[in-house]
Amino acid sequence: MVSKARKPLDLSNLVVWATLGAFFTLVLLPTFYLISYVFLRWNEVRVEVFENPIIGDENWRQILKVLFFSFRLSLSAVAFDLIFGVPLAYILARKSFPGRTLLEDIVTLPLVIPTSGFGFSTLITWTTVAGIGGFLGLNSGLISLNALIPIINVPFILFVVHVALTFPYVVRTLETKFQSIDVTFELASRTLGASSLTTFRNILLPLAIPGVLSGAVLAFARSLGETGATLIVSGVSTTASIAIVRWASEFKLATASFMGSLLVMIAWAIILPVEVYVGQRGRSLKVPYRMPRALHDRLIKFERFASKRLSRIKDVVPLAVVLTTVVIPIIVVLNSVIRYWSADPYTGKVQGGVLYQLFGPSNYFNSLLRATLTSIIVALASTYISMCLAVPLAFIIERRWYGRIIRTILKVPMIIPTSSLGLSVLLLWGPGGFNLAHPGIWLIILTHIVFSVPVIVESIIAAYEGSGLQMYEDSARTLGATPYNAIETVSLPLLKGGVLTGFILSFTRSLGETGATFIVMGRDVTIPALVVNMVEALAISAALFTSTYLIVLSLILLALIRLLTRRR
Amino acid sequence: MSLIKLVNVTKRFGEITALDRINLSIEDGEYVCILGPTGAGKTTLLRIIAGLLDPDEGEVYIEGRPVNGVPPERRNAVYMFQEYALFPHMTVWENVSYGPVIKDWDRDRIDRVTSEILEMVRLAERKDAFPHELSGGMQQRVALARGIASGARILLLDEPLGALDARLRVDLRTQLRSLVKDQGLTAVHVTHDQEEALMIADRVVILREGRIEQVGTPHEIYSEPRSIFVTSFVGGANFVEGNVAEVGDSGSVVELRGGLRIQVSKRGRSIGEKVVVAVRREDVTVGTEKVTGSNNILGMVGSVLFIGGSIEYEVRLENGERISSRILLSDAPKTYRVGERVVVSFPPERCYVFPYPKAGLLKEIEAV
Amino acid sequence: MPEVRLVNVTKRYGKIVANDHINLTIKDGEYVSVIGPSGCGKTTLIKSIAGIIKPDEGEIYIDGRLVNDLPIEERGVGYVFQNIALFPHMTVWDNIVYGPKVRCLPPEETRALALEMLEMIKLSARSDAYPSELSGGTQQKTAVARALISRARLLLLDEPLGALDVKVRAELRYELRRLVKDLKLTALHVTHDQEEAMSISDRVVVMKKGRIVEAGTPINLYVRPKNIFTANFVGEANFLRGVVTQVNKDRSIVEIRGGSKLVTKNTDGGVGDPVVIAFRPEFASIVRKKRLNRLSGKIVDVLYSGSIVRLKVELANGDRVVVKKALSFERPTFNVGDKVTVNIPPKDILVYPYPEEGLDRALALE
Repeated sequence: MVSKARKPLDLSNLVVWATLGAFFTLVLLPTFYLISYVFLRWNEVRVEVFENPIIGDENWRQILKVLFFSFRLSLSAVAFDLIFGVPLAYILARKSFPGRTLLEDIVTLPLVIPTSGFGFSTLITWTTVAGIGGFLGLNSGLISLNALIPIINVPFILFVVHVALTFPYVVRTLETKFQSIDVTFELASRTLGASSLTTFRNILLPLAIPGVLSGAVLAFARSLGETGATLIVSGVSTTASIAIVRWASEFKLATASFMGSLLVMIAWAIILPVEVYVGQRGRSLKVPYRMPRALHDRLIKFERFASKRLSRIKDVVPLAVVLTTVVIPIIVVLNSVIRYWSADPYTGKVQGGVLYQLFGPSNYFNSLLRATLTSIIVALASTYISMCLAVPLAFIIERRWYGRIIRTILKVPMIIPTSSLGLSVLLLWGPGGFNLAHPGIWLIILTHIVFSVPVIVESIIAAYEGSGLQMYEDSARTLGATPYNAIETVSLPLLKGGVLTGFILSFTRSLGETGATFIVMGRDVTIPALVVNMVEALAISAALFTSTYLIVLSLILLALIRLLTRRR
Repeated sequence: MSLIKLVNVTKRFGEITALDRINLSIEDGEYVCILGPTGAGKTTLLRIIAGLLDPDEGEVYIEGRPVNGVPPERRNAVYMFQEYALFPHMTVWENVSYGPVIKDWDRDRIDRVTSEILEMVRLAERKDAFPHELSGGMQQRVALARGIASGARILLLDEPLGALDARLRVDLRTQLRSLVKDQGLTAVHVTHDQEEALMIADRVVILREGRIEQVGTPHEIYSEPRSIFVTSFVGGANFVEGNVAEVGDSGSVVELRGGLRIQVSKRGRSIGEKVVVAVRREDVTVGTEKVTGSNNILGMVGSVLFIGGSIEYEVRLENGERISSRILLSDAPKTYRVGERVVVSFPPERCYVFPYPKAGLLKEIEAV
Repeated sequence: MPEVRLVNVTKRYGKIVANDHINLTIKDGEYVSVIGPSGCGKTTLIKSIAGIIKPDEGEIYIDGRLVNDLPIEERGVGYVFQNIALFPHMTVWDNIVYGPKVRCLPPEETRALALEMLEMIKLSARSDAYPSELSGGTQQKTAVARALISRARLLLLDEPLGALDVKVRAELRYELRRLVKDLKLTALHVTHDQEEAMSISDRVVVMKKGRIVEAGTPINLYVRPKNIFTANFVGEANFLRGVVTQVNKDRSIVEIRGGSKLVTKNTDGGVGDPVVIAFRPEFASIVRKKRLNRLSGKIVDVLYSGSIVRLKVELANGDRVVVKKALSFERPTFNVGDKVTVNIPPKDILVYPYPEEGLDRALALE
């Protein structure tokens, strides 16, 4: 009989309290402050949003419009992700074929590439002559920036970007879930006479429901909070996240914070119940859903037919999605940077070339160097501080009775739209709040800590669970190791993979973050923010170069992750 | 003085009482097996001795010292997991020398002890291998070596042979025992395999639903089981229901279903009492002639099975009851076929008589 | 009628040959077990028959029909898994009716079949329970019912009792056999437990390193194993090295190390050949009288297990043998240190040529 009730290892109480204290102050406090800010300054909010002497409740109507748009975009992107992500996750989890790892990497790529760079690549690919349009011999982009997709009324380009950026969350979460489901359940169903599609519907999908839900939640939260790429491709549309950035930069802090806390509360209202449901162990859809007999029999016949004849479709279509949303934009950018190196190939102007824009009068090269320095300092500092917090926190989550509560709370910063996050940090620590720092590098670091801690903790926990760590540690203890010895000689070496993966994930995340950074950065521009600035200044070639630079940087980081996780 | 002593040890998990007032003493140098079905509380007991769990009530003494609250590393008792828990990031050498290194012995001593023990378990050649490169049997030996090298006096073995193939398990039993004995260690070994326990242990503790059902040498447990459960769980037996019909000086007579009467040498039951008579399969012989001094019942061979060097007959008696007989292949004078008419015989002194259990017979003997 | 025939079935995983030209026929109504140490290829074999694994070469016939290209769901076999694999999100009832449902059987028929199955495994009262609420043994019985409800005539049992307690295992194996025989099924049972295989099978197939070593009835494999590995794997045995010194018509003489001579009925090889002799511990006895085949020695260990006592005897030449006896009242008790004489009847001595790979390798269990 295994028991959880055993006495936890003696993490000295001091460490526990210090960790928890830092966790609450650095990670949780900003968000709650944002919400309380709205209540504390309700008068200001009311005047600015509802009873503006000049424009009346125009701001409120704006907020509503933007919120509806954002939700429409996010929900449709998640729906699309699920339709094509489920088969892809299944293939990755169950089939072994040459190039499987490569495919996995490609799917993960949008998680690693700074989103503004990625958004720019997508923009070039679809809406400019340098992309698919030129390739097909047109004189313009294939699709105009503001072309809408019918029914959902969302701009095509925005939709594509959001799908690409959220797809990995659905696929990777589901892949892990599928892998954790014993393959013999499927084999049993097959030997009982069910075709592979019937098996999928009856067995695998119900068992994987928690994975489907958490994947969808992550993707939804990501889409809702996405800023970097959205800023670049949004055209005339405005999402909730961009609106916050814009209002914050216009110093309409009351409107921005009202919008921000609305967004946070709505996101939580949708996401937290799902998280709580998923968090309970062994969740699955219980009853095999009932349906009329004729329909049931026909469905089974169709599934039998489809399992045999149509199985190629389920392999090919998701691949096509990945190809068009991820691979093509990257290739286009890499290709364009070469074509635009010395001059614009269409007009022939030197001013349109990469070299001129970098080293010419605007001297973007200098800005790029400065931005690189800022980005790396921010990423290193925030990851380092988060690390110091996350390692003990992961142990507390696994070892203390209140660990599960903390783990649920940890979801809070993960599902906050990043621009709300930036705003909350600005309000709390910035000049208007505790006045700890002015917008700039220190505030960026404080912001990045908020989302880095959960990322690292999650990856340590993933390594922790299923490692049988408790058993190894118990073993070490009875062999004569003190609790401290056991952690040092057994637990940490066994968790090394998880800790390092967490480090790199947090580092890349920090490197690529745009939404929150934009609000708190002041004059310390990071690389992804620089891309946005370049695009807004129409320095296309410089943006091309910077995007390439970011893509190469993230590919190196991705290779590092691979190297570290393969060992196990 | 006992090396390990448990006094009224009780452990609950929520509603479930995993251990209910356990009292047990284990002597220095003893090899004790804790035997019981899944969920009997065996592992909980072992973890409490190791200090990996704290009892809710009661005291644990090791070497006469109360150890409640003493952490595992200061109990001188090493716990070996069924899955071995070899540290995957360490070589065989590093695993085995883990205890000595962590205890900060001097370099020479660490090297000497480690190489001696690796030699002993015949793994010196594989000292640089990682655990996952070894076969199951080798991993088991590394785990054992690691435990011994740590200098602990007590080995706590949680199903140490459970992860191995059946045939290999049988071979390794005696090796395990001689290793422990040669090193002068004390072992507490948890298992659900009664054959394993009977063969290895100096003393067997039968655990059932958190309580000790019986403690004794393997021979005592087998030949003088105190309850129907122990009879059934250890060795197994034929169980028949009946009523005491006569009580005499040398024994009693029990009347079975259909009026069949058998002699039992146990006394002290009152006439009319409902009882269960148990006879070991090995104590029943099958023949064509009656055996004097035994109970002889006519019947027909219902099935013949071949089990690990023995022949097992299931004989259907005239009253519809079935009796099994197990005979070593080498002791079987001739074999009988299904359908043949035979006499089953068993001596009265080999019959156990138990009062009929309140919860019914099935509850006591059914394993599934 | 389900008859299974494997012709030259071969499966490779990289360099490892899991099944090496397996030829095997399982007759209609037969209960066949495949045993062998971990990694001998027995699981690959049973999975190939079910269609879970595709062999690289060779043909598999079920009922005379070539099934190599038939998907799993169309082979119509019942498969029972070691880890039981009851669908955790369905009740016992839903698990059992799963097969008929996905095969689109009429609901009334499905219901009748399911009731019959529940009756068979005596679980009618618990049909609403979820698998996690049942004991391991009951779960496996449910899995068997689930596999059989669609009237599969071929039952493939993949270590069906491996996840259960020893006592439960011992009880369930007879139920399995009874079920198979009552329903007139053909069964293939894979296990690493020789005792399990020997006690319930009509025929036992012994595998090692991807090949079939030997196949035969349990009693023949036990008493007259043709192969030295089989001799060791299917039950306890003593092995002694020696040299043939004399070969007569129906008996030969083997001189074991140290000079003692043993007469054997089983002749193999010529004078001077290095051989290994083997005998089961229970066929040897401790004697006083002068008889053929005496080996003197000293008892070094006495191991009781229930009704059986095993005596470990160290012979004059230092070799150790085990003698196994049924324990009863009349027999004298044995003590460590007693000087004894071991006798082995000539007919019970098995003689094998000394294996090229060495004795330890030939007997290796893993």
